[in-house]
Amino acid sequence: MGTPLPSKRIRLTLYVAAGAPNSVRAIANLAEICDSLRSLFKLEIVDVLKFPLRALADGVLVTPQLAKLSPAPTAKIVGNLSDRARVLAALGIAK
Amino acid sequence: MNERIARRAKTGPELHALDAGEIDAVLDPATQTAHLLPDAQRALMLGGALPLNSLLAALPRQDYQRMLPELEPVNLSYGEVLYEPTDRLAHVYFPGDAQISLLVVLDAGKALEVALVGREGLVGIPLAFDVEDSPVRARVQGSGSAVRMQAGSFREELARCAPLQREVHRYAYAKLAQARQTAVCNRFHPVEARLARWLLLTRDRVRAEQFHLTHEFLADMLGVRRAGVTEAAASLQRRKLIRYSRGDITILDREGLAAASCACYEVVRKLAR
Repeated sequence: MGTPLPSKRIRLTLYVAAGAPNSVRAIANLAEICDSLRSLFKLEIVDVLKFPLRALADGVLVTPQLAKLSPAPTAKIVGNLSDRARVLAALGIAK
Repeated sequence: MNERIARRAKTGPELHALDAGEIDAVLDPATQTAHLLPDAQRALMLGGALPLNSLLAALPRQDYQRMLPELEPVNLSYGEVLYEPTDRLAHVYFPGDAQISLLVVLDAGKALEVALVGREGLVGIPLAFDVEDSPVRARVQGSGSAVRMQAGSFREELARCAPLQREVHRYAYAKLAQARQTAVCNRFHPVEARLARWLLLTRDRVRAEQFHLTHEFLADMLGVRRAGVTEAAASLQRRKLIRYSRGDITILDREGLAAASCACYEVVRKLAR
């Protein structure tokens, strides 16, 4: 099995407030979605309580929030990611 | 706060998620900080493995869980007055990292600290003895978190929860013994030794070697004029036990300071557990 092309890899950043209920839920929901898909993900989790400047620099105003960085088009999903269909659509993955 | 959030998160998805209760924190570009929303704050403060307040932490898990909905997290700021003497005690406060000073206020505005309450205790003991009014001024001496409970709920819990009752009584007794010791100390021991004792007790509570206390505050704590505080602090500073500059206190030599304090430090410390 060769390594998938980098362009196939989905790069995500999840902004959370570590330990807060919706953030915990968002991480769990995203993990479940990623597990169930064959695609490869590169996920970075940013705790805005520790790194508010990083989040602000990325244009994030509320958490939890997921940003899809690549491949284009970029997208963002705000909230605890419990709406799986909406997350998949934003990630550009047809069910 | 919520209006400010709404203004910042003016666009669709943010507002939608806010309305759905799916948001934990909001970032404020002006202050460059993240603000937790009340629900998230509550969950973070209360949902952790153990409550910050050791009196609550001593309760059986199921009792604490039952009390949780009644416990409201609050942030207390330095100088804030929770109660004046004769004020109706609307809430009891269980400090987390906040510290609250209880002062007896005499006529002509003179005040003297009679107790310091930190994470080991609570403000509102009179309620446990069917007294509804505050006998003292309760003033925040160290900013930080606390949880509070309405007086009525506290009394209901006391009536049905023997562990809570035991903790509160044990704490009330310790406070009584401390007050006894402090009364004698204030009468007989020199200001410098008392200042040393007081700084050490504060250190033990905040668990830090550095904290902020103004002259005026210290004067109230020790029941002396400000000049008396200046003199005592200067003396401790000359002996290189503390550094004191514009209210910022740094303990340089804890053991030296303990040696400079009166024996009441040890007595009160043991009572405070």
